[in-house]
Order: sequence, then structure tokens, then C-alpha cells
Amino acid sequence: MKKQIGVSVSRRGFVAGSAAVAAGSLGFPTIGGAQPAPVKVGFIHPVTGFVAYNGQQARLGVAMAVDDVNKAGGIKSMGGAKIEPLLGDSQSKVEVGVAEVEKMNEQGVAAYIGCYQSPVGIAASQAAAKYNTPFLIDVGASDLIVNRGLKNVFRLKPGFGVCVDQGIAALGALNTAAGGVAKSAVIVHESGEFGTGTAKLLGGKLPSIGIQVKELIAHDNPTRNFDNIALRIRSLAPEIVMMSNYQNEYVLLARTLFQQKVNLAGMFSVLGGGFNYKFIKEMPDVSQFMMDTNHWFNPKSAKAQALKKRVEDGGNLFTFEVYLAYTNVAFLADSLERAGSADKEKLLAALASSTFKAELMPYGPTQFVNGQNQGARAAVMQSLKGDIEVIAPEEFASAKAVFPKPKFS
Amino acid sequence: MRGRALLLAAGLAAALAYPLLVPNYLITVGMLIFFTAFIGQSWNIAGGFAGQTSFGHVVFFGTGAYTSTILQVTYGWNAWLSWPAAMAAGAAVGWMIAVLSFRAGLRGSYFALITLAFAEVFRIVSNSVPFTRGGLGMLIKADPRPENFQFRDPIWIYYLALLLCIVSILIAWQLTRSRFGARLVAIRENEDAARALGIDVFTEKVKVLTLSGAMCAAGGTFYVQKYLYIDPSIAFGVEKSVEMLLVSMVGGAGTIFGPLIGSVALTGINEITRWLAGVVPALKNVQPLSLIVYGIMLMLIVARLPDGLMGLFRRSAAKPEQRRA
Repeated sequence: MKKQIGVSVSRRGFVAGSAAVAAGSLGFPTIGGAQPAPVKVGFIHPVTGFVAYNGQQARLGVAMAVDDVNKAGGIKSMGGAKIEPLLGDSQSKVEVGVAEVEKMNEQGVAAYIGCYQSPVGIAASQAAAKYNTPFLIDVGASDLIVNRGLKNVFRLKPGFGVCVDQGIAALGALNTAAGGVAKSAVIVHESGEFGTGTAKLLGGKLPSIGIQVKELIAHDNPTRNFDNIALRIRSLAPEIVMMSNYQNEYVLLARTLFQQKVNLAGMFSVLGGGFNYKFIKEMPDVSQFMMDTNHWFNPKSAKAQALKKRVEDGGNLFTFEVYLAYTNVAFLADSLERAGSADKEKLLAALASSTFKAELMPYGPTQFVNGQNQGARAAVMQSLKGDIEVIAPEEFASAKAVFPKPKFS
Repeated sequence: MRGRALLLAAGLAAALAYPLLVPNYLITVGMLIFFTAFIGQSWNIAGGFAGQTSFGHVVFFGTGAYTSTILQVTYGWNAWLSWPAAMAAGAAVGWMIAVLSFRAGLRGSYFALITLAFAEVFRIVSNSVPFTRGGLGMLIKADPRPENFQFRDPIWIYYLALLLCIVSILIAWQLTRSRFGARLVAIRENEDAARALGIDVFTEKVKVLTLSGAMCAAGGTFYVQKYLYIDPSIAFGVEKSVEMLLVSMVGGAGTIFGPLIGSVALTGINEITRWLAGVVPALKNVQPLSLIVYGIMLMLIVARLPDGLMGLFRRSAAKPEQRRA
């Protein structure tokens, strides 16, 4: 016996169906009606491994931003499509980061955001290029990331070069205003790609502001004792110590120099991985008067202050990973809105031509050249009385710099 | 014997068919399994068969990776041509370390530590000298064409990793059948007794470390052609040494298939736990789940299976009376 194929429609069913169609055609939301397909976005961060804290902070920013975009109605030009985050852990390993790209590609992501560490970002964005999928670098300072001619890579934040130029200019201005008290510097950096790259650039540019580099001191990750490096610095007697390293080593070096009472006119870092609220709140004495050129939010932005309060109310710290990840999600959402589609070509074109206003950040107008935002700027900050104050650029400054710092008694 | 040959043929057929049946992500996982098995086998030949346990095998891996990268980026060599050159460099470093260490009479834990020290020295040097671009690392320009040893379709890099793994297994198999292999086993079991039997212990140990160095360097070139970026931490970091050692120990050091079995187990656990952490709500906040499982498995193997998973298979396959014996 053949099974009858077809459905019988009752009068009640017909009326209900007709009403649903009519409501749909008029644009009213329908209960149980077809929702636009979510836009899948891959987020790859090192939530385990030696920079796990930073990766977890980035995830916090991602979660808040995705929540905000979705609560605000999703991508309106795509019928209110929600962003669906796919979370990946790079484990601080290049191979794992690339495997995450492949896995997420199978799941149909429209774009990726990541990866905190430059080597992982370089390899992962390269893997994404095979599928012509946009890759937004939220954190990753190496200029190699955007100098490869890849059309799918976008970095909203500044890289090494810009941060170093800004830092050097700010330090030069401070030193001139202080009568040129600083004549020499020692640079302490982690021995990886990030620290070495920054140190090399700093070493080349410091003489241009009248500061000679006495020595470049590299250290491993992790390093758990800086006594010998502090003794070496004391013997070299520079006026400035410049640091370029990750969270733990940054804090340990600063604490050791403080404990050993090494007198300096200033401690200055460019992209100092440990210059954040965690450090300043936990060690206000150690951090007092330290300066850093880094990613920072615009203290005069009401939106940034509101986000900071939300993050802190949740018992977390408002570190740069949080607001850079948040800003990148907002940037992607804005591009999706303008593209009106998750089609990769359209999205790439929308990203490349973006004039997105990064409200949280102290940036100029967004304009991408070879994937690098030309409006990206760092902020120069100083730890003052247990808080972080922006001291340059002037239009975003919240306090006046103290330089040289008082000597140990 | 026939059953074993059939099992091997079935395994090979499955490995060949695998990438035709699964998505790209799983092809990448398969590639990682064979690649890790290959570099693990390079360790196993020296550490497992010859008993020359090394904690710094990454020194050969990094030498291979940097040699081929420098030849390509700085001197414009073709990537395929740079591969044998990288192997030669790895062999030379293996020879040098062996001559220096064995001439000084280092063995056991002293040899293991000196290899670790060599890897550290290479890492620091590569961080400091301009021709490696120091900590900035070196980038190979992406130009995915087979003639550049770069493939758009991951299936080809998978097959290449499979080929490397097969070659390494054949080398290990040959060791179990050759006089050279027998001499290595004799050295592993009792170096003084081997010398008393007339074996030139020094020469044999130098030969095996040279061979192991060449193989591991081939793995370094393979890695850099896949990821197109190398820096001192990736090239000479201790992580890769541990990875090579672990897959061999977990699978069964001194056995032909130990590194492959170990690689399947460890890569599999890593992928499964990462997947579980992504889909099981209760595990979502257990970030280092794979590391926890990894550690527990390692403890269990060291405590219960000193001869690795291969030992477990052997015992399971043995007849009951043999098992009792």
C-alpha cells in the first residue's frame, strides 16, 4: 500500500497560516517565524598557556560586544541577524591557532578576530587567506602582520612602528621640558618577536632625542628573577629604563628595581605588557610615575567610561585586551551592516573602505592602507597616585606628566 | 605475520582514504598526527633504539627550519632544493653535538642535559644574529604553488606528512633488521658490554645522532613550509623537544610504531578535549581541560605502562600463558 504524500489543511490551520504570511509580509515579527541566519564569527585567543590571562580578557571583551550588538537588534541590514561567536583557544601555539582556523572555516565563519600573539596571528590569518575570509587582528603588534600583501587582514590598532614613534616623540618632549635630564637608557625586553622588535626600533630611535642606549638586555619568557638584571642596570647607571615585555616579567622587573632602590629619572615602556590596572592597583608604590605608550581607551569618551564601569562592576579589570576585542567586534558589526551580507567579497570590500568611528579609542579617522588603519594611535600614560592617567596626545590627556620622578631617599 | 601485514595494509588504505572523506579541519589534524609522529620517530631512533635520550632534539628541528628559510628568503633558493640542504645542516649539527658530547664521555642524564643546553644556545644565538632577523622572526612569502612547496589544498600537505611518517617507520623497521640497529640496541642495553663485544660505540652513536638530526631537520623544513613563519621560540623552544619525547614515550620508545601511536593518542586527546570544552556547557570554563587530561594520561602511562601503549597492545595480543609469564 502506498503511503499518501500530502497534508490536509483544516480551516483553523488555513486561517492561522494566512495570518502568519500576512504578518510576515507586513514586516511584523512572528512567533516561531524564520529568523535570519546568524553570522558566525571565529574568535581565536590564547586562553591557556603563558598568556592565558590576556586571552581570557580578550574573550571578556568579545562576550560583552557580541551581547551588545545582538541586544541592539543584530545586523539590521541583514534582517537583524545575530552574531554567533565561535570561541577557539590557540593555546599560545601556532599549529593550534591554524587548526582552529580550519575548524571554524568548516563551521562557516564569516570572519575571524584574534589572536593576541603576533606569530599565531601571522600564521592564522595566512590560513584564513586561503578561504578569502576576513581576519581582524585585535591585538598583535608586529608589523609583519600587515606587510604581507594579504587582502583579508585588517588591523584597527597601531603596530610597533607607530607606537615606538609616538613613544619616542613623547619622551623627547618630556625630556626637553625637563631640561634634558635623561642622557642614557637601558632597554630590557623579552626575547621573543614582540620584545625584540620593539627594542630594536627603540634602540635605533632614542639617539634622535639625545638619549644614548647603554645596553639592550634580553630575557626569556618566563623569567622569575630579575635580581641580576637590576644589578646590571644599577652598574650601568642610566637615567631611563625602557621595558618591553609581557605581564609577569614587566611587573617583576619593576618590583625588583623598586626593591633595590635603583634611582632613575623615569621608567618608560612601549607596549608594556604589564602596565594595566591590575599592576597599578596591586602595586601602587612600585608603579608610581612609571610611563607607558600603549593601547588605551579614550578617557574623555562617555561610552568608554560606561564600558569600564560595566567591566569593573563585574569584578574584572578594564585591560586593553577587553576594549580592543570589544572595538573589533563593533568594527566588524559596522562593516557587516554596510555590506548587508556575510558574503566574503562584500565584507572584505566593506572592511577595506571602512570609516568606522572607534568611539572607545583615541584614534583619528579610520582609513585602511594595506590592512593597517592609518588613524590608529597609542596613548602615553603615567601611573599617578594609584591610577592610570593619559598624558599624551594632549587632546586626550587627563593629567600632567611627572618627570623626572623623585629619587629614593 | 600475515595478519599483521593485512592490518598494516588496512591502516595504510585508511590513511590514504581519510582526507578524501573528511573536512579540511580533520585533514589538518591528520597532518599534525603524522608530522608529530615523524619528528617523534627522529627522536625515537636516537633516544628509543640507541638509548641516547635527548632533551634538546629541537635543536635539529630549528636548524632545519632556519636553514631552509634563510636559503629561500635571503638567497632565493627554491623551497624543494632547500629541503635536502636543511637535512644536511641538521645532520652536521647532529654530528657536531655527538662528537663533542661522546668524545667527552657524556652519557645518560649528562647527555640529555647537554642536548638541552645546545638547544638553548641555538635559541639565544638565533635571537641575536642578524641573518635570522633575531626575535622578529622570518616570514616566507605565501605563494601557494606546488613548485614552492606550498599547497592551497591541505590534502597535499597531509599526504606529504603521511609520506614522511611512512619513510620514518621504514627507517625504524630497517633498524630492527640491520646490524647497525642491533649494535644500537646493544649500546642501549649495556654500553660497556657492547664495547667489550667489539662494537665501536663512539662511531655508532655519532652515526645515529647524525641520522636523527637529518630527519628532525626535515621536519623543521616541513613545519616552516606549512606555517610560513619561524622565530627563535618556535624553532628552538623546549616545547617541541618535549612533544617529540612524549609521543615516543607514550607510544613506546624503541618500537617501530610507538611515535605514531603516541601521536594519535596525544593529538587525539588534545582535539577531543578542546572539542568537549567547546560543546559541553559544564566544561566551557575549564580552559586547560586538555592539559589536565594530558597530564593525567601521562602519569598513568608512566606509572602503569612503562613501555608505552605499544607494550599494552603487545600484552593484549599475547596468549594468556605468555601474559602470565
